[in-house]
Amino acid sequence: MKVFTVFLGLCLVFVFVWERVDVVRVGYQIERLKRDKTVLERQRDELRVKFSTLSASDRIAKLATQKLGMSVPQQGQIIVVQSRPSGVRPSDIALVELKVARNDLPTGRF
Amino acid sequence: MAGSRSRGRRYVLLLLLLCGFGVVLFRLVTLQVLQAAELSVKADRQHQKTVSLEGARGSIVDRHGKVLAMNVEVPSVFGVPNTVDSPLKTARQLSQILHVRTDELERRLRQDRSFVWLARKLDPEQGRRLDRLSLDGIGVVMEGRRFYPKGPLLAHVLGFSGMDGEGLEGVEHRYESYLHGEKRMMVLQRDALGRTVFPKGMTERSPTPGHSLALTIDEVIQYIVERELENAVGRARAKSGTMIVLDPKTGAVLAMAVSPRFDPNAVSALSSDRWRNRALTDAYEPGSTMKTMMAAAAIEERVIKPNSMVFGEHGRMTVANTVIHDHERLGWVSFAQVIQKSSNIGAAKTGMALGEQRLYRYLQAFGFGQRTEIDLPGEGAGLFRNPKDWGRRSVASISMGQEIGVTPLQMVSAVAAIANDGVLMKPYVVSEIRDADGHILRQVPPQIKRRVISPETARSVTKILEGVITDGTGTKAAILGFRVAGKTGTAQKIDPRTGAYSATRVVASFAGYVPADMPQLAMLVVIDEPQGDTSGGSVAAPVFSRVGEQVLSYLGVPSDAPVTLAMASR
Repeated sequence: MKVFTVFLGLCLVFVFVWERVDVVRVGYQIERLKRDKTVLERQRDELRVKFSTLSASDRIAKLATQKLGMSVPQQGQIIVVQSRPSGVRPSDIALVELKVARNDLPTGRF
Repeated sequence: MAGSRSRGRRYVLLLLLLCGFGVVLFRLVTLQVLQAAELSVKADRQHQKTVSLEGARGSIVDRHGKVLAMNVEVPSVFGVPNTVDSPLKTARQLSQILHVRTDELERRLRQDRSFVWLARKLDPEQGRRLDRLSLDGIGVVMEGRRFYPKGPLLAHVLGFSGMDGEGLEGVEHRYESYLHGEKRMMVLQRDALGRTVFPKGMTERSPTPGHSLALTIDEVIQYIVERELENAVGRARAKSGTMIVLDPKTGAVLAMAVSPRFDPNAVSALSSDRWRNRALTDAYEPGSTMKTMMAAAAIEERVIKPNSMVFGEHGRMTVANTVIHDHERLGWVSFAQVIQKSSNIGAAKTGMALGEQRLYRYLQAFGFGQRTEIDLPGEGAGLFRNPKDWGRRSVASISMGQEIGVTPLQMVSAVAAIANDGVLMKPYVVSEIRDADGHILRQVPPQIKRRVISPETARSVTKILEGVITDGTGTKAAILGFRVAGKTGTAQKIDPRTGAYSATRVVASFAGYVPADMPQLAMLVVIDEPQGDTSGGSVAAPVFSRVGEQVLSYLGVPSDAPVTLAMASR
């Protein structure tokens, strides 16, 4: 009986110590994760800014014109096909193909 | 006897002890309980120094969620002078990374202060290099830096924020109370002698970030508008330019541009003149675009009909001992032609038939002379005098857009009211406010200000304005496949030296909407002091056309006008 009581006491002490150690360990883990979270949030923000900078219309237009040789069609280079009778709301009809680059078509075809 | 005296002494001693303990106890209760809070603050003040850092500022996005302004945490460097062993050596090492002069850094590190900023809001790479150096008495703390990733795009509307993160202009200033985050405190400990102990584990209060704003602005439309406006101002060698695009049904601002532009990421070297949002601060004499509102008032009041005939006096008419000229010698023309050919004489005659009180009432109802109450700072009310201050020529002058100062925003709102079947809407740029977790705190619905004219009158005016594009002064505003309604304006500016209208300095403008029958866009183009061909029809109308064509295509608005070969090969 005595031995059992001592054993039980030791077990309780062990559980108590183990619990305290574990609390400290988890505490450190939480702190580390918080730091990681902060670092990742900073990276995310930096990437958002980078994405936003790279996707700016100004930059895309520059790349399209300077690197890919594209150009904005000028007036007279576009043929528009009437797709909405006058007086009908734009939202009331399905959108059909509207524009054809005139440069792609033989002159006078329309 | 001796025993009772001894007992008496003991009682006295006991009483004295009790009194002594009582005093100590009373003092303890006073210090620890009654004055605890006050003394604790006092102690903290003696042992701690707090440095305030701004919290994370909320971001600003366009109507599709594209980021227009946001905060990124970047390193700032500070020093604790009394913990720096060799200020000169430390300053030399820092100078190479911070690009600040060594003597300036050394001066700061020798100051008799517990905390000094050495450089703020640096590039992340500079922070990493400083970390590697690990200098005694030098620390790095992360602060929010405002970035405008699209550069100059929408700068006049967004505004910018200062070094301490406070909004100074534009949306940044107007919505400061929503955007700014909770301040953080960096706490520095002091020892018993008042020297600062270097903050190894600095205490930062968990910050609450500011709210985010969603704008009504569309980044792509804004880009198209800015590009075309910049090109037009450059081509015309003009002083400046302004363009606004509204959704006439709601009053939502889709784009607002001012040329020349500026980059809100680098404003320190610029003057306030450069970042002023002229679209809502500066008033100008609109000239003939005002005839649109005068025509609406006259038709609504049944003073005239679109097909009523007006005599053009062959281009010359005397009013109040002054002569009004037309650029064409017109005889008898319909009222619709008066507007289409932009006849000053026809407009003056109609305005005089309407009378000063009705003209004043309608122009006020269209919003002239008062702020539109847009949610942007610095808006002007324009200049529109009370009829009791008008001269004998004022009715004629105001009818053709003189003697009245309007802001571009007032003019586009008034034109949008005609496009919106006669209902004036309140223009706005912020559509939604969200907290840091993305929950909607406030949604801004479109707000009707008032009905100005009936839908029938609005349709009549639209028909007249369509004629301006097909047969009048605004042919260059035509958009292939769409019916356009609009009006040109070429207003002479007052020469400040002579006080008279200048022969060379003008404001060229075009105001209109498209598609004419179901308007999706109301737009105004104002070009200030163009050179060469200065008419609104030559300088501003083509900008309207180019922007309208691209934006309608981008929005997927179906065309409503049959296309002829002649138009296509224009």
